[in-house]
Amino acid sequence: MLMPRKVKHRKQHRGRLTGAAKGGESIDFGDFGIQALEPGWLTARQIEAARIAMTRYIRRGGKVWIRVFPHKPVTQKPAETRMGSGKGNPERWVAVVRPGKILFELAGVDETLARGAMERAIQKLPIKARFVVRPGVGAEPEVLV
Amino acid sequence: MAEIPLVAEVRDEREQGSAASRRLRAAGRVPGVLYGHGTDPVALSIDARALRAGLSSSAGEHALFQLEVGGARHLAIPRSLQRHPVRRTVSHVDFQVVGRDEVVSADVPVHLVGEATAVSRAGGAVEQELTSLSVKARPADLPDVIEVDLSGLEIGTTIRVGDVALPAGVETEVDPDLPVVVTVAQRGTAAAQASEEAEGGAAGEPGGEPAAGS
Repeated sequence: MLMPRKVKHRKQHRGRLTGAAKGGESIDFGDFGIQALEPGWLTARQIEAARIAMTRYIRRGGKVWIRVFPHKPVTQKPAETRMGSGKGNPERWVAVVRPGKILFELAGVDETLARGAMERAIQKLPIKARFVVRPGVGAEPEVLV
Repeated sequence: MAEIPLVAEVRDEREQGSAASRRLRAAGRVPGVLYGHGTDPVALSIDARALRAGLSSSAGEHALFQLEVGGARHLAIPRSLQRHPVRRTVSHVDFQVVGRDEVVSADVPVHLVGEATAVSRAGGAVEQELTSLSVKARPADLPDVIEVDLSGLEIGTTIRVGDVALPAGVETEVDPDLPVVVTVAQRGTAAAQASEEAEGGAAGEPGGEPAAGS
């Protein structure tokens, strides 16, 4: 599973999840992608589960890019513990995702196979997401105004 | 390339800023700016439907516009489009004034045409490394797309920027050695095994000599 090799601070504040993605909102490497439509935290396990679902469906061929990384530690207090005594222990790593962020990219397969693989990957995620195609690949170029 | 007529209105100071721009977008207009040729930048607003129709032409995002601003006409190209991250609608457009005989730069999409039958038959894959190419040309000479022919490709071959045939009057300053399309053998195929063996053999040769000498 993905996790940082080294961090400067072991515990972080939760932060805010307002607004849309500020970067990483276009398909830059592959031909197809999964775009987040809601804000949320993606755990390293969920990212890995989505990757496995995608690669198993493709079987062979294709290339997958993971565009998010779980940089943020999330702490949890042990069960049946009295409140107080400081912040809990780091339990898992999450990626902070805002609407518009491209989570995964895929290339080297046709659109039908890519759509099937990515729809299975979306099922593993805790947020609403959609399948997107890079402008100029198969469909008409992007001209929405 | 055809020139697309487009009427823009000048925005005064009250119609500038984020709140005013939000109101403009809600009213079906897109805020923008016009600059270039040493003139002061002019804040504009354009009808969203008209801009959409203009950007829907075959030239796409580097279409040539005949922009009418306060009675004056300018030949302009969209230099930058800001899009909403989810809806992908254009939220702001930058227009740059250009001259008919002036060489301008633009990012033109690279489209792959034809089928690399030799690669697919050998179980390989074609990877597109470059999706758009920065080119320089006169506005009328700017191509809508740059087509790269895949037929005749074999595993191990690479199409580089220098190999791409550009239309007359079009130049690029991108490194000619930069790969546009590469072909790779998929893991587990005969072609992949052959390339792995070739790499292993080449790597093994220098390592063998010191061992024999010691």
